[in-house]
Amino acid sequence: MCQSCLVRPVSTYGTANTDGQPGHREGAAGLTTHAPQTAQSVTLPASLDEAVAALSAMPAAVPVAGGTDLMAAVNKGLLRPAGLVGLGRISELRGWHYQDGHALLGAGLTHARMGRPDFAALIPALAASSRAAGPPQIRNAGTLGGNIATAAPTGDSLPVLAALEADLVVAGPGGSRREIPVSHLLAGREMLAPAELIGFVRVPLLHAPQVYLKATGRTGPGRATASVAVVLDPARRGVRCAVGAIAPMPLRPMEAERWIASLIDWDADRGLAPEALTAFGEYVAAACIPDPAPAADGSEPPALPPAVLHLRRTVATLARRALGRALP
Amino acid sequence: MSNDAATETQALDGPQQEPPALGLGASLPPADARAKTEGTFPYAADLWAEGLLWAALLRSPHPHARILSIDTSAASEMPGVRAVVTHLDVLGDPSYGRLVADRPVFASEIVRHHGEAIAAVAADHPDTARMAAAAIAVEYEVLDPVTDPEKAFEAEPLHPDGNLIRHIPLRYGDPDLMGEVVVEGLYRIGRQDPAPIGAEAGLAVPRPDGGVEIYTGSTDPHTDRDLAAACFGLEPDQVRVVVTGVPGATGDREDPGFQIPLGLLALQTGCPVKLAATREESFLGHAHRHPTLLRYRHHADSEGRLVKVEAQILLDAGAYADASSESLAAAVAFACGPYIVPHAFIEGWAVRTNNPPSGHVRGEGAMQVCAAYEGQMDKLAAKLGIDPAELRLRNVLATGDILPTGQTVTCPAPVAELLRAVRDFPLPALPKDIPESSWLLPGGPEGAGEPGAVRRGVGYALGMVHMLGAEGADEVSTATVKVHDGVATVICAAVETGQGFSTLARQIVQETLGIEEVHVASVDTDQPPAGPATHGRHTWVSGGAVERAAKMVRTQLLQPLAHQFGMSTELLQITDGKITSYDGVLSTTVTEAMDGKELWATAQCRPHPTEPLDEAGQGDAFVGLAFCAIRAVVDVDIELGSIRVVEMAVAQDVGRVLNPAQLATRIEAGVTQGIGTALTENLRTTRGLVRRPDLTGYALPTSLDAADIRIVKLVEERDVVAPFGAKPASAVPVVTSPAAVAAAVRAATGRPVNRLPIRPQSAVVTAGA
Repeated sequence: MCQSCLVRPVSTYGTANTDGQPGHREGAAGLTTHAPQTAQSVTLPASLDEAVAALSAMPAAVPVAGGTDLMAAVNKGLLRPAGLVGLGRISELRGWHYQDGHALLGAGLTHARMGRPDFAALIPALAASSRAAGPPQIRNAGTLGGNIATAAPTGDSLPVLAALEADLVVAGPGGSRREIPVSHLLAGREMLAPAELIGFVRVPLLHAPQVYLKATGRTGPGRATASVAVVLDPARRGVRCAVGAIAPMPLRPMEAERWIASLIDWDADRGLAPEALTAFGEYVAAACIPDPAPAADGSEPPALPPAVLHLRRTVATLARRALGRALP
Repeated sequence: MSNDAATETQALDGPQQEPPALGLGASLPPADARAKTEGTFPYAADLWAEGLLWAALLRSPHPHARILSIDTSAASEMPGVRAVVTHLDVLGDPSYGRLVADRPVFASEIVRHHGEAIAAVAADHPDTARMAAAAIAVEYEVLDPVTDPEKAFEAEPLHPDGNLIRHIPLRYGDPDLMGEVVVEGLYRIGRQDPAPIGAEAGLAVPRPDGGVEIYTGSTDPHTDRDLAAACFGLEPDQVRVVVTGVPGATGDREDPGFQIPLGLLALQTGCPVKLAATREESFLGHAHRHPTLLRYRHHADSEGRLVKVEAQILLDAGAYADASSESLAAAVAFACGPYIVPHAFIEGWAVRTNNPPSGHVRGEGAMQVCAAYEGQMDKLAAKLGIDPAELRLRNVLATGDILPTGQTVTCPAPVAELLRAVRDFPLPALPKDIPESSWLLPGGPEGAGEPGAVRRGVGYALGMVHMLGAEGADEVSTATVKVHDGVATVICAAVETGQGFSTLARQIVQETLGIEEVHVASVDTDQPPAGPATHGRHTWVSGGAVERAAKMVRTQLLQPLAHQFGMSTELLQITDGKITSYDGVLSTTVTEAMDGKELWATAQCRPHPTEPLDEAGQGDAFVGLAFCAIRAVVDVDIELGSIRVVEMAVAQDVGRVLNPAQLATRIEAGVTQGIGTALTENLRTTRGLVRRPDLTGYALPTSLDAADIRIVKLVEERDVVAPFGAKPASAVPVVTSPAAVAAAVRAATGRPVNRLPIRPQSAVVTAGA
């Protein structure tokens, strides 16, 4: 498996092989050492329980869905999985269904699929974050479950799932299922046990505006320098906001959420004055990037460095714009 | 996008005529275009040899350390490992370098930069080789790195040669003169990586005679061969460098730091050895653009005419000299830009630090100063309340003016014409005027841009570069043209790096001999040298050599006919494979005239000599100059500081258009690289350690970042000393575009913008400002 990414033996000049046989050859001495480092087994289960069984049978094996992070690590030589359990053929994970006011999203949904208009009508912020998740090649392969499992600070879907207060449906051996809040996994409060797999993501259907905004270093696709998800929950008269990419996990400015929700007239047009939006942005930014605590001797605390101040300004702008777009 | 048709016709500028299908002036496509597009074109990383071994290098994890011991025993004993080499195995010269041999093949006592090579391993599998390299036990005593070039002067010498690589104190005119208006500025330019699309790779094959053949994408095969042979302790003719497909080059490629270990391993194991660098190794190993610190003081009269320029330029060369003294000469000589400056005092230094190595990257030296002197021109315009384009027009250089180096500009210098062309070109429509097309906001289609926070800015920059090697470099090239059976072959060691030389060579032969089918042979060091593929020299010297050789073949072909008909060869003409005389009496085909013979001719082209800059920075150091004017239009989200370059209008001094399509792609590529320099490309370090050496951390421009590039005018004023009168075209847009983007961001935000790449916080307009 790793052969193909390291060399493509094309017949070329005087020194090239001319018989056109691709693939790895043994060294001149007839001794080769590549075999022990290569994945010995690749399993392609057709159902979630089969996948769990395959992982139970071979605890050293690694599950792979889109492979956009995993295979990059393999190619870099950071990871040499003894075996792979491919999740790409599990059709139950590649769609979604509805369950008492929630959508149960398969962990194998690709970013490309979630970016489409039918999905955007259901969960607009998740669709927006999927469309922003890298170039088309990555979006075609990368999956929702993979984004959660990798748990990169810049993972685009993570602040959206945190703001939606999504739960994960985790499949374990023997057909067992348990639910854990996505924030618990991202914060490390609850971890996946060996042979467990993220099967589904349970997301509430809120039937209200949601916005995901991200700031990057360039116009083309790039990792977020900061991202903000804002979702409205009219039934519970709540505003939920999560800030991504500035900390190891998405941050929830709960006080700012409660304060702004109290200002909104939920029974009328929900509009807010521009000053309130600005104040919300600054509240969110100050909560996520606080000022240094004053020193014990009462002297002036050190000022934040300019790059951190810029990041705080970016978060404030994103939160203000996101809320502004979520309200009429 | 709606006004494409209108601008295309304007761009051609001049009498409209059908471009020829062949020869000079034709848009001949490259012969390898199809293979490259389809992915079948073989690059060095695709090479294979029976029984080959894989190489891996052990690189220093520290920017500065003393090596106390190197223990290779664990690595040597690993199954599959065939050889481990360190500095002890370098039988010839322990160090190499293009100008000064100051860089060790393998660090022996001191490592001077993060990623410096310490040992190399050959094994039967790349993973084994890498694991063995990691198993080499090196004991380091970590030393304090010198990473601030300003502190390099006082620091302990990092190298036996000292920390100062070159100092040029240019003095021109009266130092005591003062202008009525004075503006000062401090500018910082970051570390751009050439980031070739293919990382370094090569294959070394031992020869039965004790020599070695190195197959790699070298851009200067003969120099590489000589350096490698000296380190192997072999004669140059025992080493052969064969140039394979070059996967992109905007600087020196496949530097000897990769080739010499590869050759050593092949010589030691007696087996072919292949190395394919990872992207991380590529970032750590090859040379970058010099990070530069520039202090400027411009004096002008109240009309905005420049009186005096004072500047201090400090180039961070990294640990080894490489091409730094050449870059410094360009930076000092062009420190004032294409402007008339009666008095100039420029101090330039290139110093050694423990930062990643710097070297040749397209437009080196000239690019850094362009960003600074154009920043100064904007400051002067703001201070005097004069329009920035108008202020520049009052100062532009023309043919016959004198550079601060004392050299008279003898080549065409249509700088004013270029600037007027971009200034007068219609501005792109504002989004509100074209509601039917969607507006790509700064931050991208899925970004957070908000139209109400976007400001548009327009900025100008003028840039100049020198062509060919400077300061007395012998810029000779040799080419051979062979004609047999109606097919011509060009043999010239000028490397096709993507710059289009082989297409140009075909066009030259088509033009001179009227033969349609022309092949360009692949390059190796058995051919006579043609020099490095830098400073646009192959268009000039190698193109010139091909033309001379083709003309000699033409004479050989026509002489017997001319003799037979009692006329001179000049009265005969070759078109479409037919030879006709001026009066139509004679008409025969080339094949008939050849009569089964094979015709060969070899010729050289050597431009007029130059001289080194003297101790006051004076001298006729450059063969020729090329100029460019760019107007940048940018959109800036002034709350987030995100920037999108909307349009780059380019007017360039090209001497003569030899291949319109190829010229346009060279300009577009150069401008796009310049946008990267201006906005995103900076290889960052923390105390000498490279942070995130990958293409996620190092953001290259994507198609969404590339601007709408308008080639507004190509000034074709032939340079009489250049073959065909053409000027090389790739480097000058690279030099000029970052300064133009910075000027436009300055106009949009009112911020000073004195650092490249432009950080978002430098483009934010806060409520207080």
